Amino acid sequence: MAALQKLPQSSTSMTSSSYVTSCKADIVVSDQFPAGLRVLVVDDDVTCLRILEKMLRRCLYLVTTCSQATVALNLLRERKGSFDVVLSDVYMPDMDGFKLLELVGLEMDLPVIMMSADGRTSAVMKGIRHGACDYLIKPIREEELKNIWQHVIRKKWNESKEHEHSGSLDDNDRHKRGSDDAEYASSVNEGTEGIVKTQKKRRDAKEEDDGELENEDPGTSKKPRVVWSVELHQQFVSAVNQLGIDKAVPKRILELMNVPGLTRENVASHLQKFRLYLKRLSGVAQQQAGIPNSFCGPIEQNLKLGSLGRFDIQALAASGQIPPQTLAALHAELLGRPTSNLVLPAIDQSALLQASLQGPKCVPVDHGVTYGQPLIKCPSNMSKHFPQSIISTEDVHSSFGAWPANSLGIVGPTSNLAGLGAQNGNMLLGVLQHQQQQQKQSTMPEPSRSINVQPSCLVVPSQSSASFQAVNSPASVNQNCSFNTIPVIDYSLLSPQSNNSSFGVGQVLDGDLKTTGVLNGYSGPGSNSPSMSSCSVNADIGANRQVQNPAQAFNTGRQLPGHLPNMSDIQGSYSSKSGQGLDQGPLRNLGFVGKRTSIPSRFAVDEPESPMNNLNHGKIYGANNVNKVKQEPNVDFIDNAKVGIPVSQHFTSNDLMNVFSE
Amino acid sequence: MLGFGEDRLRADMNRLLALLFHQGVLDEQFLQLQQLQDETSPNFVSEVVNIYFQESEKLLRNLRELLLDREFSDYKKMGIHLNQFMGSSSSIGANRVRNVCVAFRAASEQNNRPGCLRALELLEHEYCYLKNKLHELFQIEQQRVLAAGVRYPMQN
Repeated sequence: MAALQKLPQSSTSMTSSSYVTSCKADIVVSDQFPAGLRVLVVDDDVTCLRILEKMLRRCLYLVTTCSQATVALNLLRERKGSFDVVLSDVYMPDMDGFKLLELVGLEMDLPVIMMSADGRTSAVMKGIRHGACDYLIKPIREEELKNIWQHVIRKKWNESKEHEHSGSLDDNDRHKRGSDDAEYASSVNEGTEGIVKTQKKRRDAKEEDDGELENEDPGTSKKPRVVWSVELHQQFVSAVNQLGIDKAVPKRILELMNVPGLTRENVASHLQKFRLYLKRLSGVAQQQAGIPNSFCGPIEQNLKLGSLGRFDIQALAASGQIPPQTLAALHAELLGRPTSNLVLPAIDQSALLQASLQGPKCVPVDHGVTYGQPLIKCPSNMSKHFPQSIISTEDVHSSFGAWPANSLGIVGPTSNLAGLGAQNGNMLLGVLQHQQQQQKQSTMPEPSRSINVQPSCLVVPSQSSASFQAVNSPASVNQNCSFNTIPVIDYSLLSPQSNNSSFGVGQVLDGDLKTTGVLNGYSGPGSNSPSMSSCSVNADIGANRQVQNPAQAFNTGRQLPGHLPNMSDIQGSYSSKSGQGLDQGPLRNLGFVGKRTSIPSRFAVDEPESPMNNLNHGKIYGANNVNKVKQEPNVDFIDNAKVGIPVSQHFTSNDLMNVFSE
Repeated sequence: MLGFGEDRLRADMNRLLALLFHQGVLDEQFLQLQQLQDETSPNFVSEVVNIYFQESEKLLRNLRELLLDREFSDYKKMGIHLNQFMGSSSSIGANRVRNVCVAFRAASEQNNRPGCLRALELLEHEYCYLKNKLHELFQIEQQRVLAAGVRYPMQN
């Protein structure tokens, strides 16, 4: 938390969260932007419809209102492409809002925002499950509507990403993963703000709707936490396998497992995590596989990447069939969760060293050697932080087999470097080069360029940045060249930082609130995903900005090939960051992504009251994060104050003027 | 002279509003509604509130019919009505009506018919009170506008 609090100018840096940049985009790009957004409002309640219409018009949106869901659906079908976003009530006599949501999602893939007076968790959950991109609780305030354009941009960005990478789902998937992480991060932050309150809220919610929640957070539940031992997890996995991952529902799994004391909720939450892991696994695999595809650069790079590709295939297979190795890897991660999630990669690693020395079955030895090296250089660091007892070498060993591309390849070196990086940047280079050389010798003696690519894949904690480079390179080869040695350093400087930061954040959060352990674990494991999520969000930002105004000059001089320029935006910022040495930018971003995406409507509520302008949004939020608990009384106060003030203020200026003019 | 009367009327209005806020009949959302009133829709508040009255009376009628039906069982439909009532009431800031709706819905979810009947009585009472007071408010406003010598087309 402390790390998150001191975020001075980071909000203005372009790689922070989408919130900041969107605010910035408003200013820098065009003041016009959200104006003219075409909104379809569907609500059977005419009163609300009228109010919403008025509010939306005041936001300068183009509003179409509709009091019947069927009419709305026809309208949407007839006039395809003439709406940007749909606001729909949940309960409507002719058609359930969820049904409409589903149809709209299927047929025209528009962002749909649900709204209802029913703000119970079960109802909101239902909306989310049906694919609503937001759920507004009535009474809806104007400030909430001001913000709905973000869903349009987000969606558009997703689509453009899909187009760019036809054939590989990686980016899309990564994006989703990013948002997943963001969600977790958001709940973590929510927790930080007042754990007692959150707990209470959840408890209330639970009492209200008898345990309909499927993704309960075991951390906040009042029941004793279930320890997922190896045996228990294996039982769980075999049950899932028996049912098939898609058909596995908590209730059936519970029946198949037949373990006394285990509740449906326990299984449900474990299943959810399990699914997330699978998703990430397959995401990693696809992404890695995607790199060679999108590479039009030198061929040797492809060859080089081939060595990574092997793992990809493994991982892919893993995601499909869940072989024991993968499961063990998953298990290792799941098990590691209770203690300190962010520690995991390092645990893997230290044990990995052993594993590799023993001669693992499927990983080339050079990996072991290269990773072993930095480890040896800073062994005390590692052992100091991380209790070794949690995972048996057996687990780790198998996880080594199953996770090489991810935890080994990426986390391994970076966390090592993190230790060193603080001391000496040059040393990093040395280590890296050493690694490169070793890899060169053992895998493929290729020109330096190929090395360039691989370290970036190895070092960068998020696959995203690896693929950024990959995406960039086809467009201009010299760009690739210019990154030749520098990017290695850049990334290595950056990634330890982001690792550090995630470590820091994670630890602080852990300290503050035990309950978020799981959430943490999920955004944190391997400490890849937080930075991953930040990367994807960053990309989002870039996209936003590009969509809004291509003229915006954030690409530091590097001109982008008409193809996904935002990508190089991000790179630009990366390298400029690293140019400043150990700039803490990425660290802050990391924090911000979590924060920003987590900012609930409560902040939107505060927004108009705050006297600061958009430029300061980042700071406002930074402050808000700190004062979050204070904010609420504030709101109350304002409410109260308003009772008095507007009463006297009402009908003032105009009428007075009239009186005097007469 | 004219201005003086207008001032007094405005003071009356403010007093009435303050009272309604104090009683919890209205809440902050009503102010939001008032803020939406601008030169493009000079009588937005009364327009919306009149729509609300029409809709609410329909809803109240439906609810009463549902409840008075001998072989009544459709609590789900009642829940939907109540949800709408809650939505519209909260949207105009009719705080007390909304609160009664919440209680009503809770009773209907427990299939508690006596509870529903009591809640309906209360709801009708609250609604009538709100309606009377808002009418009073609009009347004063109309007079005030007249006194100010500006003729807005108030209340269709």
